[in-house]
Order: sequence, then C-alpha cells, then structure tokens
Amino acid sequence: MQNATGIVSYSRYVPTLRMQRSAIAAAIGWAAPGLKTLARGRRAVANWDEDAITMAVEAGRQCLHGQARDHVAAVTLASTTFPFADRSNSGIVVDALNLKADVSNDDAGGSRRAASSALIRTLNQQPTASSSLLLASDCREARPGSTQEMRYGHAAAALLLGRTDPIAIPVASTSLHRDLVDQFRSQATGYDYALEQRWVRDEGYMKIVPEAVQEVLSKSGCQPGDIHHFALAGPAAIATALIRELQLTNADIVDPLHDDVGDSGVAQPIMLLGKALAQAEPGQNILLAGFGQGADALIFTTTDKIRQTKARDIFQQSITQARDEHNYLRYLVLRQRLRLDYGIRAERDNRTALSALYRRCDAISRFSGGRCQRCGMLQFPRSAVCVRCHEAETQQPESLAELNGRVKSFTEDWQAHTPCPPLIYGNVTFPDGANVMMEFTDFAAGELAVDQEVRMVFRIKDYDERRGFRRYFWKSAPVAGTDG
Amino acid sequence: MVSGIRDKVAIIGMGCSRFGERWDCGHEELILEAFTEAIADAAIAREDIEAAWLGVFFQEQNTGKSALPLSQTLRLPNIPVTRVENLCATGTEALRGAVYAVAAGACDTALALGVEKLKDTGYAGLPERSKGTFEDLWLPNSTAPGAFAQLAGAYAAKHKQSMADVKQAMAHISVKSHANGLKNTKAHLQHAITEEQVLNAPVIAYPLGLYDCCGVSDGAACAIVTSVAKARAMGLKDVVAVKAMQLAAGNGYEMSDSRWDGSYTPTTRLAAQRAYEEAGIKTPREALDLVEVHDCFSITELVIMEDLLLSAPGRGIADVLDGAYDADGVLPCQIDGGLKCFGHPIGASGLRMAYEVYLQLQGRAAERQLASPTMGLTHNLGGVPARNVASVSVFGRLAA
Repeated sequence: MQNATGIVSYSRYVPTLRMQRSAIAAAIGWAAPGLKTLARGRRAVANWDEDAITMAVEAGRQCLHGQARDHVAAVTLASTTFPFADRSNSGIVVDALNLKADVSNDDAGGSRRAASSALIRTLNQQPTASSSLLLASDCREARPGSTQEMRYGHAAAALLLGRTDPIAIPVASTSLHRDLVDQFRSQATGYDYALEQRWVRDEGYMKIVPEAVQEVLSKSGCQPGDIHHFALAGPAAIATALIRELQLTNADIVDPLHDDVGDSGVAQPIMLLGKALAQAEPGQNILLAGFGQGADALIFTTTDKIRQTKARDIFQQSITQARDEHNYLRYLVLRQRLRLDYGIRAERDNRTALSALYRRCDAISRFSGGRCQRCGMLQFPRSAVCVRCHEAETQQPESLAELNGRVKSFTEDWQAHTPCPPLIYGNVTFPDGANVMMEFTDFAAGELAVDQEVRMVFRIKDYDERRGFRRYFWKSAPVAGTDG
Repeated sequence: MVSGIRDKVAIIGMGCSRFGERWDCGHEELILEAFTEAIADAAIAREDIEAAWLGVFFQEQNTGKSALPLSQTLRLPNIPVTRVENLCATGTEALRGAVYAVAAGACDTALALGVEKLKDTGYAGLPERSKGTFEDLWLPNSTAPGAFAQLAGAYAAKHKQSMADVKQAMAHISVKSHANGLKNTKAHLQHAITEEQVLNAPVIAYPLGLYDCCGVSDGAACAIVTSVAKARAMGLKDVVAVKAMQLAAGNGYEMSDSRWDGSYTPTTRLAAQRAYEEAGIKTPREALDLVEVHDCFSITELVIMEDLLLSAPGRGIADVLDGAYDADGVLPCQIDGGLKCFGHPIGASGLRMAYEVYLQLQGRAAERQLASPTMGLTHNLGGVPARNVASVSVFGRLAA
C-alpha cells in the first residue's frame, strides 16, 4: 500500500457570509409559504467578489499548507459554475496558487458528480512521484423564492492526492451512469430546474446509489458492516434510509452540513469526504457516494497519518467565525440577483487589455512583486528601477500572496462604484518594505482600523458586463477565521 | 550659475471666469471670459503675446487634446502654443511654462490659460476614468475623496489625535472657506455653513462628509506675463513678480515604500523647501501674508499647513481651531473661498489661486481685501496622497 496513490491532505473552504434561512422565508414567504418548512439553519453565501474560481483558490491554499507546491504536477478543477466556458478556469487557479507553470490542468464539469468522478479517475491512474490537486467548487445561484435558494450553499473543497504519507488509501471505486434527470441547468437559463423530490428519492437515490454501493463493496471485499462512515451527497434523511437499506450497521452518517453550509453541488462529495476524514480514526473505512445522473461510490481506509492532519483542519473555525446575514435584499444584491441603480458613474467601459494582463500575469494572478537584490526591499509591482535604492534591473520575482500585511490607511468609499457599497480600500504594508494600495474584502463598514493585520485573498476585482468578462486580483481580508 | 526665477518675471494681467456649474458655457466661452479680463487688465494688444501655454486636465471631457482649443478659440495669430497637463497642478504648470519662457528670454510676453469644463458628465463628482491598462488590473477603483480621506486616519494615528478632534478641525476649515467664499462674487459656492452641518453631513468617503469636499466646477483663469524690466518700462507700479515656482513630482516612494506613513505629502514638503529658498524666505509663516493651498478636501488643507512648514508637525489641528488661518488670523488661507468654495475646474485652479494672490497684492480684492499684503503663496497637489505632483509658487509685490 506504500506505493498507492492516496489522500495526502484535504481542505474545505466556506465563504464568510451565512444567510439565515428564516430570513429568506420571512422576506419571500408571502409568495412561497412552503419555504417555512425549510427555514432552519443558515446557508453559505459567496461574497460579490467570489466565484467557483476564487473559492477553489482558497480551498487549494489551505490544502497545500505545509506541502511542497513544486510537487504538484496536475490540477483538476471540478464545477458546474465555471465563470468561463472557453478560458481555462483551472489555469487561473494554477497561477493564483503559484504552482509550476508546466502543471497539467483541466476543468471537469457537466455534472454534480464531476469531482467524485475526477477523484476516481485520478486514483486509478498509474501512481507517480508527484502529486495531484483536486479542487471542487460550486457557486450555484438559485431563483429567488425557490427551494434551491434555501438548500444550496456556496463552498469549495480540495484533496491533495499522492504517495507521500497518505492519510487515507482508496480500497475500491465505481461509477454508474443513469440519465435520471433529477434536475438540470441548460446553458441558457442559469438556474436549476428541479423535479419532484419524492421521485428523485425513490427512483434515484434509493435505487441508483445502492447499485453503486453494492458494486464497490463487492470490488473491495468489504462487508456492509465494515463501513464506519457513510458520506452521501444528498439529504440526511435519505442517507439514513440508505444505511438501513444497505445494512451499513456500523456506519455513522456524515452530516451533510445543511445547518451551516448547504448543498454545495460539485463540492459536496469532497466536502463530506473532508468531514469524514476529520472524524475518522486510523484504520476506519469511509464510504463516499456522489449522486447526479448516476452515482459514484468510493471506499477509503484511513492510515495512522490521519491524526496529524486534524490540527490543520480549520473548517470548524470557519463555521464559528462566519458572519450572519439577515438582510435578504442585501443577499440578492451581493449575488447580483437584484441590480441596484449604480448611476452613470458605473457606465465606464471596463474592457480589459488582455495583452497587458498576459504581460503582467505574474503580478496580477500570482501577486508577484520584486525583491531588490541590492538593497533587499520587496516591492509591488515589480519595477524597472528599485523604489528605494534606485538601482535598475535588480528585482527578482517574489509573491506577496502568502504574506500578511498591516493597514496603513483606509477609507470606506460610498461614491466609488462597487456591486455592494461601500468600496473599502487603502494602503497596506508588508514585511521588507512593500506597500500596496489595495481593496479590502469581507470587512463591513466600521470594522477596519489602522495597523490591523490582514491576509491576502484572490478575488474578483472587476466585472466587464458589456463583454461578460471578469478579472481577478488580490485583496486584503480579515486574518481571523483563516489562520488556523 | 543658476539664479532661479525670483524677480525676473512680472504678472501684468490676469483674468478669471466666474466658477461654478456653468450650464450656459462650453470651454470656448470660459476661455474667452478669462482672457478678456486678462488682456484688458494688461492693457496690451493680443498681437503682443508671443507664446502661450494651455492647461487642461480632462481633455476627453471637454476641450480635446493639443494647443488648438486655445489657439482656435482666441484665433491667436499662429504663435507657439503648448498644451500642458499635470493633474491638479495643470494650471500652475501652464503658468510655469509661460514664466520660464520669459525668464529664459525666449519671448517678452507670454500667456498662460487654464480651463476645465467638468459639468457635462451627467453626474456629481469628478469624471470616472481609467488609470491605464496595467493599473486598472490591480489598483482599487478609487475616487478622489476616497484617496484623500485616508490621510485622516493615518494623521490621527501618527499624532495620537482622536478622529473627533481631526473632524472638528476639518469642519472649522470648511466653515472658514464658506465664510470667505461668501465675499467672492465669482465663487461657485456663496453661502455660509455651520460646523454642525459639516459634522452631520452624509459620508462620501469615511471620514469625509459632503462638506469636506470641494466643488466640481467649470471655469477658466488666465495670466499674462512679461519681464520685470519690460513691466517697469511700461510704467507699471505695484508690479507683482514671481518669486518662486517649484514642482516636486513623486517617484513612487509613497506608493510602493512602507516607510511613508500616509499622514503627509512628502512632495509638498520638498516643493515648499525649494520654493522658500528660491524666494529667499527664511520663516514662511512670518514672511507670507496669504496662502492659497490645494484644499480639495478639508483634511488635505489640514495636512498641507504642516507640509508647507506653516504649522509645526502635529500642531495643525490646534492652529486651525485657534483661527490662525481664518480671514482675520495671522495667515489667511483660502481668502477667496479656495477650491472648496471658489471651485475646482482642475486646469484652471492653479491660475485661479495666482489670480487671487495677484489681486490681493495689488489691493484689488474688493470686500475680501487683506491689509496691505506683500507676499502670497499658491500650492497644488496633483493626484492623490499616495502619488502626486506638488507645486508651490510664491508671488510678491515689488517695491516701486
């Protein structure tokens, strides 16, 4: 087993904001009184500057914490909500994670099983000395007043797969395709069209998942009673029914995180696998089932190394430090379901000079500045002449992405155009001399102070609505909640 | 041996349009309004003008590029005209071009004119603009109030002042400028305000409220300069001479080096030191009789009083609240209402400041005339605190 590819590390990223489901029901229950029955707990909501790419970057950073990034040879980003249909979404993530430029990357989509299926494919590949990063991220929007709006949550999860000190080893896996269209989203609509849940339960979960589980149990040689953790990307009630049906007599259900996150789509199986790993003891078996036009089933056995990873898991911290949002209107604005009147000022053309972006891609995506080899000063952006010693062509690339900064000055600007006012920005200083005027995110008005410590996060900087483009850059975010 | 600009060039005529929301005017009417006053004041023929400098900032908003908006509007006789742009120091840069030409002996008489027609955007505040193909990728979509507002927190932190005290001083500054603007018939804003109004106004960019921000105005201002020798030969009395014109352009230090603390403008300090040296001023607070500074925001004026070495570091709040810079204080600041109330048509602003100093030195400032001033200073901060060009100029009355 030493040479098998296994799970080396895992992470789960959930955005800071949580919409209280009771607040959704209170705001829109007049039109959809049935929502009241779902008005329990809270769902994760991406900030206006987050999408599947930025959430994947954050999950990836956590997953790679303490790992050699140069060993990552392949990156898969799975999502049904890629911002770009033709532009490598995973490629943007590769740059933001400051991975090697020759990494093999691909985008996996088309199904809520995109991540669990990609996981199976990666594990079945010939083992190599290098590692693979699997990212699953979904930022599904839901029509206001829909049950999806209540059920869904925005989140991302990551797995680092490799041969060095795995915490869990795959035992068996299987993948079934059945075109049971429980829900779908066409390219044109942007929202999911969901069918009756009773049909999905009876004909889908209760028939297709058992078929996949029987298959994987048979392949693995495990008995139903050997499973310790059952993680189903689906409702907890169905997981309970399946445990009975499948006689998984010793299995604990992995909580589908409904109360604090919501159903995170493609990310859900990997989120739950992360939760199972966080709970598991060495030598336990985890059964993971992904669902959606078929089913994926995988069995993992944990190793002794699992104990060492628990301290790194900051998921629980992100739950306790989440920010509750009770204002449904604000949520609609954040997610751009409701467009405020931003005035004539917002009409400025925001076309991106893509040749300039390509030329300075390291600065924008990798947050790469320059360190002067003569005076040692770090500066951003990297420039032809050092700002301190004035020597020309002395700066070597160096990323500021993993540095924490301090607030030198800031403002909350109610005049500047931003999807969710105010736009907060200011000067941030870094060790060894760097100063960057940059935007702040995940702060509310009144929360910032001079000299406060901040960390860097990769976010959407601007939308170009005319051309459907968006561009990304790094912003300053609160340190608490992410610094495990 | 370099001798500087002091006492080589005289201003012999100035003009300034009424500033404000000039819905009735385009840039041509504004140019003509300022020029007509200046040429009459100089009492020369337009054919005597040998070269001209035009200052315009938002070319895309009003005049378009090049020298042509000036030469064409005034139908100048094909003389050399140069268009200059240096952010909010644009007007002063036009004047510097004309002054340098005369000082160099390249011509006897030169014209400097600055104009800006901002009120065609359809919205309040300054026009939105791109910062450039690369900088748009990473710099915040900041506004002028947001960029300057940051001075306040950094200043308060550095000098261990409460934000309440900083805001009190800022309010005093705005109230003072409104009181001064009340006596200026060309000013954009001619009404008094109270400190309570300032402190309770809607926030534009924390901690700046509405009354902490200057007006966005249309306007033009104009100067005609010649050599001091020629001015004397023309028989002029009370000649107003250029004592110093200095400009300090930022080199990225504030923008990229953590050692700048964000609480002051190093370029203003450098330009001021050079200007005082050029003008032969040892103790500026005593030597100067009035100052017109770049009060785009109230916090800017507070910080600039220290950067011009008029208030000791950290003493700005106390000096402002003591009334040192009020109309009846030891050194009146913005006696014409400043950018705050006279208005801020960017390309014209530096020349508007010079216009006020010129009028004051000649005793022609009507209701707001100070008691026999002999030396005045103008200051522009073009850009934002984190990166800017700063100009400091000194003008003085020559003994007969």
